[in-house]
Amino acid sequence: MANVAVANEQYNYDIVRKFTIMTVVWGVLGMLAGVYIAAELAWPFLNFDNPALTFGRLRPVHTTLVIFGFGGSALFATSYYVVQRTCQVRLWGGKLANYTFWGWQLSVGIAAISYLLGYTQAREYAEMVWPIDLLIAVTWVIYLIVYVMTMVNRSQPHIYVANWFFIAFILATAILHIFNNMAVPVSMFSLSSYSLHAGVQDAMTQWWYGHNAVGFFLTAAFLGMMYYFIPKQAGRPVYSYRLSIIHFWALIFLYMWVGAHHLHWTALPDWTSTLAATFSILLLLPSWGGMINGIMTLSGAWDRLRNDPVVRFMIVSLSFYGMSTFEGPMMSLKSVNALSHYTDWTIGHVHSGALGWVAMISMGSLYHLIPRLWETKMYSEKLIFTHFWLATIGIVLYISSMWVAGIGQGLMLRAFDEYGNLAYTFIESVSFLHTPYVVRTLGGVFFLSGMIIMAYNVFMTIFKGRKEAAVLEAKLAAKLANA
Amino acid sequence: MSTEKKQQTVQTTGHAWDGDLQEFNNPLPNWWLWGFYATVVFAVIYWVLFPTFPIGKSYTKGVMNDITYKTADGKEHTTHWNTRSLLMKEMQEAREMQKPYVDKIVKASYSQIAKDKDQSAFAYSTAKVLFADNCAGCHQSGGAGVMGMYPNLADDAWLWGGSYAKIEETIRSGRKGSMPGFKASLSAAQIDNVAEYVLSFSGTKVNAAKAAKGKAIFEGSGGCFACHTKEGTGQIAMGAANLTDKVWTIANVNAAKTLAEKKAAVKAVVTNGVAGRDMPAWQGRLSDADIKMLTYYVHQLGGGK
Repeated sequence: MANVAVANEQYNYDIVRKFTIMTVVWGVLGMLAGVYIAAELAWPFLNFDNPALTFGRLRPVHTTLVIFGFGGSALFATSYYVVQRTCQVRLWGGKLANYTFWGWQLSVGIAAISYLLGYTQAREYAEMVWPIDLLIAVTWVIYLIVYVMTMVNRSQPHIYVANWFFIAFILATAILHIFNNMAVPVSMFSLSSYSLHAGVQDAMTQWWYGHNAVGFFLTAAFLGMMYYFIPKQAGRPVYSYRLSIIHFWALIFLYMWVGAHHLHWTALPDWTSTLAATFSILLLLPSWGGMINGIMTLSGAWDRLRNDPVVRFMIVSLSFYGMSTFEGPMMSLKSVNALSHYTDWTIGHVHSGALGWVAMISMGSLYHLIPRLWETKMYSEKLIFTHFWLATIGIVLYISSMWVAGIGQGLMLRAFDEYGNLAYTFIESVSFLHTPYVVRTLGGVFFLSGMIIMAYNVFMTIFKGRKEAAVLEAKLAAKLANA
Repeated sequence: MSTEKKQQTVQTTGHAWDGDLQEFNNPLPNWWLWGFYATVVFAVIYWVLFPTFPIGKSYTKGVMNDITYKTADGKEHTTHWNTRSLLMKEMQEAREMQKPYVDKIVKASYSQIAKDKDQSAFAYSTAKVLFADNCAGCHQSGGAGVMGMYPNLADDAWLWGGSYAKIEETIRSGRKGSMPGFKASLSAAQIDNVAEYVLSFSGTKVNAAKAAKGKAIFEGSGGCFACHTKEGTGQIAMGAANLTDKVWTIANVNAAKTLAEKKAAVKAVVTNGVAGRDMPAWQGRLSDADIKMLTYYVHQLGGGK
């Protein structure tokens, strides 16, 4: 037990615990918002003619809470944990590190409230108005400094691969955030601002940001998570150091080019479109490098799939990662994109990455992390299994209904009759979407209930951990008194 | 299985982190490496064929990939591959498919279109989409309209006439419908009596004495007859509604159950009048052929006359 006390002093776990708790809180809230807007699309009366409840305002609440609240907090928690454990040094910065917690949580919370009130700068995944952008920028730069200084102070000669991914993510996100949000406020006390870019350049910048948010925030960073928690949970070495280097640099280099594939068949010049499409194809195998390294690391520990639900979360996350990084390059080909663009296929694709990969690897990692942070066992292993199945069924329902919705609508919108006339009106394609939308909502309900079960399990674990610690302390005190 | 064996012979890099974190030094999987090379080959071929690299103010145009298309006015263009020309070419192909039918329809009379199976099917297919894109926003996708706002096109009643010629006129030039409000010229009691009389036209059982008083106002000082005629049948020349059928477009009489509710609906219209019942003009926005096909479509939606 003395060891535990020393470990606590050696590493700053307090910050990791705080971020872990907020990951779960934002996860429940963000996914709840997601389920609600999914239901609104199936049953539009659910907006109750209340502006704050309309899809337009709740959608950024959903995306911000799940990407930056849930995903962001999970990344802060795991990166702070991983960098300390693999550099074998306490987190640098003390109070500064603590500031990143409050800065980040405030940004996410204020952003969500501001959307409900109707304040947005209308840039996808960057809807925050300029004062929040400034708060995020300051927080993020401090995050970078804390992270780099911790690595500088390391007592290990080598930097573990997970840290390359985390540092690339932090650096790239800083650049993306700053350049995408360059805007001039309308006046000192106005929340409105005017973008520094104009026209197609503005759209291009927006999607350069948007896709790299996927590439660096939702992919590279979670690969960092994968590179620590999978070998740890499996108890096996990473499959190939060489592969990790090659796919890291290929991924980092290629991602930056592909954002324009979100703007195929628009006013964007065709040459830009071509570069984005081909770089997306080139990105396929580098993306798969991470999947191979993860799966091959787990290979040899397959027996653990039977009794270790955490390993299940991890292998399923890698499978969805592989699937969506195959689907993405295909969708970025102009001919495929002509069908998929502006349909729910895109939404399905995003969620196979977001639910399948990002959420599943985070949940797996948290289930590994939480017992170690509160020095106890998970409250219920059975509930982890339940969560796993609810999440998996939810994802499958979500993705398959969006395939039907997207491909179906895409085909309807381009169908011609024998006279060369459009075979369907737009509204016919919309009413076709109703059934897939209902199924999608159901998928969301499954996924959300899994998350709620996780929240229950986590908070019971924390109470259990605290109780055990208190009992232990009482025993120690009693012993000391006797002596 | 084989990988399992291989891994045992492969050495780790010799570093260890956090106790047990290590890395094997396995080579890159061959299928991965060759897969990556294949995507490189794919990309290079793509770059040669399509517009790709910016050079100064221009860019590489791609080879063996030119697109030739004709615009609507018959001019032919040949350009390097680009998404806009691709759209133009598809529009040209659709136009060419449509042309033989459009040519016939432009010349044909409405009765000829109705008789010719091919022409009527073509007109229906075109106008269905035209209607959805341009008309359904107000008149709804089935043409049922919105009570109190947009007339129902799927019934037998036609405010401005249900013949082909009248429907075409309505679409082409638009309409301005209005009814004056009578709260300044008639007392509440008088309006009440008029409402009794108006409801009696379509067979509602009303107070005969009141209706008689209403009739005097309707045909006399109120001046209602000037538009709606003494018989209450209305006039399509000015879009005055027929009050003798059971079709109501502003006052939702059919939804009301009691006489009082029905009267309230009618009285609201008589008291305040109806303003801004404007149908926009589509000439200039839609081609003559399109207006003709829409006319045909709207005519058969309800009971065209």
